[in-house]
Amino acid sequence: MKRIGAVLLVGALSLFMIAGCGKKNEGENSSAAEKGGSLVFQIWDAGQKSGMEELAKAYMEEHPNVNIEVQASGWDEYWTKLEASAQSNTMPDIFWMHSNQMYKYADAGILADCTDIVDKDAFSEIALQNAEGSDGNLYGVPKDKDIICLAYNKEMFDEAGVAYPDEDWTWDDLTNASEQIYEKTGKYGYMAYAQDQIGYWNFVYQNGGQILNEDGTEAKFTDEATSEAIKFYVGLQQNDWCPTQNQFANTDATTLFFSEQGAMFYAGSWQLADACANYPELNGKWDVAVLPKCPNPVAGDGRASISNSVTYATAAKGKNKELAMDFLAYLGSEEGQKLQGETGVGIPAYNGMEETWANTFKENGYDIDASKVTDMFDYSVKYVNNPSRPIWEPKVEQTVLDMYAGTVSVDDGIQKMQDVVTAAIKDE
Amino acid sequence: MNKRKKLDQDHVWGYLMVAPTIIGLIVLNVYPFIKTIVLSFSSMKVFGEYKFIGFRNYANMFSSEEFWRATWNTLLFCVLTVPIGVMLALIVAILLNSKIKGKVVFRAIFFLPMVVAPAAVAMVWKWMFNSDYGVINTIFHTKIDWITDPNVIIITVAIVAIWSALGYDAVLLLSGIQNISKTYYEAASLDGATKFQQFRYITMPMVSPTLFVVLILRLMSSLKVYDLIYMMVGESNPAMSKAQSLIYLFYRESFISGNRGYASAIVIWTVLLIGIITAIQFIGQKKWVNYEV
Amino acid sequence: MKRKKRTSAIGVYIALIIGSIIMIFPFIWMLLTAFKTNSEVMKVPPTILPSSWNLSAFTKVLDLLPFGNLYLNTVLLILIRVICAVVFCSMAGYAFAKLKFKGKNILFTIILVQQMIPAQIFIIPQYQMLAKLELTDTLFALVFPGIVSAFGAFFLRQTYMGIPDEIGEAAYLDGCNRWQTFIKVMLPLTKNSLAALSIFTAVFAYTDLMWPLVVNTNINHTTLSAGLSTLNGQFSTNYPVLMAGSLLAMLPMVILYLIFQKSFIEGIAMTGGK
Repeated sequence: MKRIGAVLLVGALSLFMIAGCGKKNEGENSSAAEKGGSLVFQIWDAGQKSGMEELAKAYMEEHPNVNIEVQASGWDEYWTKLEASAQSNTMPDIFWMHSNQMYKYADAGILADCTDIVDKDAFSEIALQNAEGSDGNLYGVPKDKDIICLAYNKEMFDEAGVAYPDEDWTWDDLTNASEQIYEKTGKYGYMAYAQDQIGYWNFVYQNGGQILNEDGTEAKFTDEATSEAIKFYVGLQQNDWCPTQNQFANTDATTLFFSEQGAMFYAGSWQLADACANYPELNGKWDVAVLPKCPNPVAGDGRASISNSVTYATAAKGKNKELAMDFLAYLGSEEGQKLQGETGVGIPAYNGMEETWANTFKENGYDIDASKVTDMFDYSVKYVNNPSRPIWEPKVEQTVLDMYAGTVSVDDGIQKMQDVVTAAIKDE
Repeated sequence: MNKRKKLDQDHVWGYLMVAPTIIGLIVLNVYPFIKTIVLSFSSMKVFGEYKFIGFRNYANMFSSEEFWRATWNTLLFCVLTVPIGVMLALIVAILLNSKIKGKVVFRAIFFLPMVVAPAAVAMVWKWMFNSDYGVINTIFHTKIDWITDPNVIIITVAIVAIWSALGYDAVLLLSGIQNISKTYYEAASLDGATKFQQFRYITMPMVSPTLFVVLILRLMSSLKVYDLIYMMVGESNPAMSKAQSLIYLFYRESFISGNRGYASAIVIWTVLLIGIITAIQFIGQKKWVNYEV
Repeated sequence: MKRKKRTSAIGVYIALIIGSIIMIFPFIWMLLTAFKTNSEVMKVPPTILPSSWNLSAFTKVLDLLPFGNLYLNTVLLILIRVICAVVFCSMAGYAFAKLKFKGKNILFTIILVQQMIPAQIFIIPQYQMLAKLELTDTLFALVFPGIVSAFGAFFLRQTYMGIPDEIGEAAYLDGCNRWQTFIKVMLPLTKNSLAALSIFTAVFAYTDLMWPLVVNTNINHTTLSAGLSTLNGQFSTNYPVLMAGSLLAMLPMVILYLIFQKSFIEGIAMTGGK
């Protein structure tokens, strides 16, 4: 019986090793693309798989000896795998890098330096900054950029007799409209929930405040403009027209909005295409607008919207680095960026290509004015990030929840966030 | 002499027969665990050099309020799920073993939850427990904040945990009950023993080794609870800190904050905690588990 | 006496039916969800029945995932893991319960301690072992962490502990050596437990998500559950499609269970004892 087990095992081993012999090591030739080879392209969003495959296909048509396979996995597993493969130098040939993780990988020397293959003039500054390591070099090619916008339910505005949000809207208009809609229709107004990127950060920067200073070496929570905006945002929950954080934990704002329970919420630009596809019967009943501005900012013109971006990257010690770099260069080229915009999977990081993405909505018959979203790139603000972010982020998030729950006063909470971030920066 | 020979034979066969399992476990599990122990004495981040810092991680851990709360949450969760869960599983196993029609159908139904996609399980339960629109508050005319009230949340998670484990435990116990020879019951019946007496004096003692496995298994897995909390509670829930378990804390420190050293110390503490509780069970079993009937 | 029997049978039925409703509810809900549109699923307050019974989620999921490969990989994974578990765990369980050898308690401690360690710490080292051997994206990689089972060894040890020593002694006196006693006499007595262990191993292999997703990212080399979870995006999930896929994925497991549970019933007649 034991022998049978052993035979089975050896059999299983040898049989399934066959499948593992796909990859080949290419020589260090400058014309790696001509020599050919096969690359694995790893992403975390199955929704973008076909878009990435189109890019790969376009490249393979020019380079018939190259084969690129796109593999999608879930968000959590993606990072587990990337980390494990980085430690054993078996990373996928090309992969996405999120700004949350950029410093961790770039500063550990894991990512290939892509400074020379990126045309710096062609990309938005925010997208370039998100591809930087602490040393200022580029450790990837900018893929796309995103931004926050205001989504609103037109029917509820009509019913309450309130004018739709426009460029001149301020925070006061936001609260007034919420009040009236709640009174006339019984539906929620602006649904403000405990979130940084899609929530209070936007208010902070509109008020002329900051979370961190420019080079990320100092916490700014206790600055007047910052603390004022946080107080305003957290205070919104006191209104009857805003659901409580407990209600959001039961049913999130996106679901409430698309179930026609609330009139407004802040949406990430990346959510819009999915929302249109998933809620076809709401087509025409809702639209998007620029974020309402701060009426009396401590500094600045009261406008801001948080923008983040994804980066394509490859490993510094990858076996197919030469070829991977060539494909990366294609992904960062005008052609590659344009194609990406046309597939509708993200707003190209390339300057002046915003409308390729915005146009896909009308082309697909979705009745929203996505150009309002891309208008905001004129005053977009970079997603808050520094190398110690992984340390302070969970603690800050917890403090925000505590402020909402009332277990910590808003003033104490702001001080606590300041202390937590300061300590994390010092430890780094 | 005969005895000696027998013992020698025991030695040879003993080692040969446990070898595959033990070698496999050493490679797959013991080695990573030793690595974790070593890591727990370092200030290691995800990438970078190993730097020995003695017991500093442990000192930080024991002085952290968050850590003690997670320990308390974990123990509370265990107390809430294990006794009730195992008892219910025993009842279900006995019912599924009784002579009734449609047994096959019932068994299949109780087996189903094991293969339902985890995403479906979390989604349906969250929907049922929704305080505004959920079916549970609707049926019972209550207004309980099942997933946001800090005092209720752990009970909610415990209910889902008991539900998910019931099928597994019942399958194991059913196998134990079916290993009991029918002749015992026939003899007892002839002697005029009631059903309850049969259960008390035949079923219980004979199924007790299996019951002990189920108990240990349930204890260990409830002390390691993580997925359910992750799915049911969610990160942006104000009650999160009241529901955070040790392994959840480990996950956050290790995979989100990247504090490998500190996170490893949490794992070592968890294993010690489980070890102590399991050891108590092993001592206690002599009172009620019946081997070699 | 007869009447009492009937009332107790009714009691059993009522208890089982109530239990069944609670157990089956999420399954029914999955079924209903699979026929809904995504916006119906997210509706608050929720609706119970779909507005129309459309099959588009099923056709879509069949389009998105290579079900043939996923079924095959899952079945092979389960098969190999079950064989390994039954063979290795039976041997270890028997040795720990019935044989006397030096260091037995220490070795048994490894079995116990393994179950105390949270599985999250194993994934990265195990992945690295396979990566060094260049065995990722293979069927062997899927099987790898489940080649041996500490739980199975513990469970079968308990089963063997419940079998009277005299049965083994009798075989020994008949001239069987330890191995023959194990194969010919003891092993057949644990048939029900082996069936339970097989079900367990199969379910664990089937529901394990993180491992296959990390080790085999090529969709053609992964398992049903892992393949399904790639349908989860970072920000959104199409629930009807996910549920339709889950239902299709459950089919082989339910069939497998029905086969095994038949051997449960047959097992009763076979069981030894005194």
